[in-house]
Amino acid sequence: MDEDWAIDVSHVTKRFRLAGSARSLKTAVLDALRGRRGRVFAALDDVTFRVRRGETLGLIGANGAGKSTLLSIVAGTMRPTGGAARTRGTVSSLLELGAGFHPDLTGRENVMLYGAIMGIPRETMRARFDAIVEFAGLRDFIEEPVRFYSSGMYVRLGFAVAVQVDPDVLLVDEVLAVGDAEFQRKCLDKMDEFRRAGKSMVLISHDINTIRRVSDRIAHLSHGRLVGLGDADSVVQGYQAESMGALAAAAGAREWGTGEMRFTKVELVDPATGAAFPDRAVVAGDRAVVRLRWHADKRVERPVCGFSIARASDGAVLFGSNTQIAGREIPFAEGDGGLDLELDLSNLAAGDWALSFALHGADHEKNYHRLENRLLLRLTASRWFDGLARLPATWSEPAP
Amino acid sequence: MNDATTRDGRAAGGPLRKWGELTRILAIRNLKIRYKGSALGFFWSLLTPAATILMYAVFARILKFGGGGGYLPFLVTGIVVWGFTAGTLNDSLHAIAGNSNLVKKVYFPRAILPLSTTLANAVNFLLTLVPLLLYLALAGHLRLGRAYWLVPAVALHFALALGISYLVSTLNVFFRDTQHAVGIGQLAWFFLTPVFYYPAMQVSAAPLPDAWRGLVYLNPMTGILAMYRRGLIGDELVPGPESLAAWGAPASAAPTAWWLAASAASVALVFLLGLFALRRGDRSFGDVL
Repeated sequence: MDEDWAIDVSHVTKRFRLAGSARSLKTAVLDALRGRRGRVFAALDDVTFRVRRGETLGLIGANGAGKSTLLSIVAGTMRPTGGAARTRGTVSSLLELGAGFHPDLTGRENVMLYGAIMGIPRETMRARFDAIVEFAGLRDFIEEPVRFYSSGMYVRLGFAVAVQVDPDVLLVDEVLAVGDAEFQRKCLDKMDEFRRAGKSMVLISHDINTIRRVSDRIAHLSHGRLVGLGDADSVVQGYQAESMGALAAAAGAREWGTGEMRFTKVELVDPATGAAFPDRAVVAGDRAVVRLRWHADKRVERPVCGFSIARASDGAVLFGSNTQIAGREIPFAEGDGGLDLELDLSNLAAGDWALSFALHGADHEKNYHRLENRLLLRLTASRWFDGLARLPATWSEPAP
Repeated sequence: MNDATTRDGRAAGGPLRKWGELTRILAIRNLKIRYKGSALGFFWSLLTPAATILMYAVFARILKFGGGGGYLPFLVTGIVVWGFTAGTLNDSLHAIAGNSNLVKKVYFPRAILPLSTTLANAVNFLLTLVPLLLYLALAGHLRLGRAYWLVPAVALHFALALGISYLVSTLNVFFRDTQHAVGIGQLAWFFLTPVFYYPAMQVSAAPLPDAWRGLVYLNPMTGILAMYRRGLIGDELVPGPESLAAWGAPASAAPTAWWLAASAASVALVFLLGLFALRRGDRSFGDVL
């Protein structure tokens, strides 16, 4: 197995010089004279892994973790500062689909140009030309300059030509985010076909579900380091934890209040199993239950318990309610008490949501305890509507 | 390291064939784009020099400059030859920087980009030779008895253009000042080259001791242009005592033809410099672009 690798990345380190990166002759000369070399940023730090022949490796990590840099180094368009990356066989990369196209050349000319860049003989490219046009669905436009193409057509041609050059190793950077559903399905089918043909792939995607579906193994990059490498489940969990952690920091959990009455437990529970989720949870289903428990040292009259749900990225509140509004009055609290809150999430769009909770007086004058952005939810189930939430909407025939 | 043996594991017919095809396509692309959208297309490559010759002819007649009948053929030969150098110089600025999308996307020998730019300009140059030869023939100035001088002329000219292309295309990736410097440098170079004045004027005006006047041939274009004019219009290879006398220089100032080797040597120097720059730059093109 050790010998049967297609990509060998060995102790790859990549450093970029930041400030004073010599863009002008003057600064370059001045910096050289002052002995200043600019700040150095390590995009990759001692990354080592191998991709076997026929294996698909998914590459995940937060923005700026070094995924694209790593792919560029494997593609050979960037050189590592230290270490080495080797590949066996022809490498085709979809780092940016259609990026190599020249706007003034026709689709046909660009296809031939791309083939030449990949080192494919002209006759071979001619033979594959029809298949490329067919796959891209651009028969009527192939003699037009690509300047006139829509962005979707551009990407389709880019993908078609990149897979049709029939490489041994295919590098894919976040291309499944573009194109319509049908084209995405075509791409996924093509990737499956590739795997069956025993080709190796490395792909980057922010869509964890796609990555899981396609990859044999997943590598998790964090701040330029390889922090996880292995089967999908274990690595994805670490990645989710990391990205939710970053999200929690951004959303800014905050706690305040006068303290006559306090939450003792705020816990998200899986309604199916009754097991508690961590504070930052990925919810695949449509329902979630929050267990709220509180304590009051002295008797508190008519307290109100409220919650709100806000978009994690910007804090925009989508919905909020409380026991008062819901008509479930709490006459008093003394000692331990609590309620369960069941949420129907089926009307909420997939994405990251923050839940806040409050205990306050009936007159809203006094805030006993407020927990802002206490729970983070990541909803992954796909939704059949546009926007943030579903509203009741019905269609009907016009009245005669 | 990313050595070639692992990269082109399936190179059909070896790297020369593989990358030759890319070079060819890129050169054709450069030519196509030059005239894309213009109705006359590549005919402009013929029309432009023809119009230039015509204009010089008309104005030389009206303004009565240039003296004898030999000046106009001398001048337009120089202008057409200089055109290849200047055209390559200007196009090379963007040979790599202007193809950043390709450079960032796939690995291929970067030298192909300046090479294809130079080739496109060479093809264009061959086209501009057509109206030049036509004019020289019609005006009765074509002297092809020593046309063999065109062989070293073209070879050295192409090597020079390629070396410059390597150098300039690389420098412009790292220092955007290059394009401004090239504009000025090109003008200075033009005046240092006997395009519109006679080589004898340059030799006699050069502030050098008589034995060292041949140093003007350190400018590679001076030697290359002399070979072209020798091959096309039968000019003397280096200014002899009679030509020099017309500009007030002693016979002892006449350089020997061996000084042309200085031009060949500087072509080699420029070429190696360009090759060196490109190889150095290749390490970090991907980072900077």
